[in-house]
Amino acid sequence: MVEEGASGGGVAAGEALARYAEAFCEDRDGFAAARERLHGEIGGEALVDAAGVLAIFNAVVRIADATGIPLEEQKAEMSADFRGALGIDDYPAAAGKV
Amino acid sequence: MSGETATVGTLDYRHSPLPVRGDLAAAQKRAWTRLAAPGEWWSGAVRVAIAEETRAAEDCGFCRERKAALSPYAVTGAHETATDLPEVLAEFIHRIRTDPGRLTRRFCDDALAGGLGDAEYVETVGVMATVIAIDSFCDAMGMPRHALPTPVAGEPRRRRPAGAKGGLAWVPTVAPEDLTEAEAGMYDGLSAVNIHRALSLVPAEVTGFFDMDSAHYLPDAQLKDFGTEYRALTHAQIEFLAGRVSAINQCVY
Repeated sequence: MVEEGASGGGVAAGEALARYAEAFCEDRDGFAAARERLHGEIGGEALVDAAGVLAIFNAVVRIADATGIPLEEQKAEMSADFRGALGIDDYPAAAGKV
Repeated sequence: MSGETATVGTLDYRHSPLPVRGDLAAAQKRAWTRLAAPGEWWSGAVRVAIAEETRAAEDCGFCRERKAALSPYAVTGAHETATDLPEVLAEFIHRIRTDPGRLTRRFCDDALAGGLGDAEYVETVGVMATVIAIDSFCDAMGMPRHALPTPVAGEPRRRRPAGAKGGLAWVPTVAPEDLTEAEAGMYDGLSAVNIHRALSLVPAEVTGFFDMDSAHYLPDAQLKDFGTEYRALTHAQIEFLAGRVSAINQCVY
């Protein structure tokens, strides 16, 4: 879970983007405020783009998880260190996919 | 074709507080039209019912109880459904909508053992992904969702790709080298990585979903073109946001 003030990963407006995603998925009561904050930081055109990315990935994750597709071998090798460090390999859905 | 006309009419962004890119709105309209039409394995009526049930799952008390449980198999109960879809299909839809991070091979095996065909399985996932993407866009914009389209009459086409093989995923998929003339354009403009192959047992779901994907995310050809920014968001911001959504959903891919 991303907390207020958490790292934005060195990305412009990263904290606001992270909060936007987190509130959308886990804190709908706080979502309007998160969206307004992001709007203030990146503007309306970029906010529409952000809504599009958030929306399509909210669907893509379900395609991936429901069909059981694995990571490509090359991606799995390249990401092995940080997957372990970030705990991604511990996700229940990781079983048999990496 | 009056049904298709009515379908398109249910989706527009004239009243959006922020201008929605024309290509994005057009992609959603195509997806909405396709949602209501007969698919490969489901009629238009069933496809729209799947979309309706996908929405209903968000308010299902049993799904909330199960999501909170240590294991999704630790609780029993009945879904709060909105349609007369068969129980196996309702269970399938509710699990994917509300608890995708804990789907395992057992989930797939149970659905198939319950009578869902593997291609029906894939088409259902494709329909769900379509309605989830468009609903999520409306939610993310702070706008009301669109009314579901009116189903278009007609029979499913029932064409299964001859080159579909098991082994990559829980369901058979079609490798680029196994494409036949019937689905020759399925990976046009796509790199045919595993996420593109996930729905390939039903080629129309691949072309339809990734048509929408390229308008919401980026077309494949622009993904690694870091010298040019194609959106108001930078590549870095797009990938950061996509990564956050995936991580929050505990999706490895």
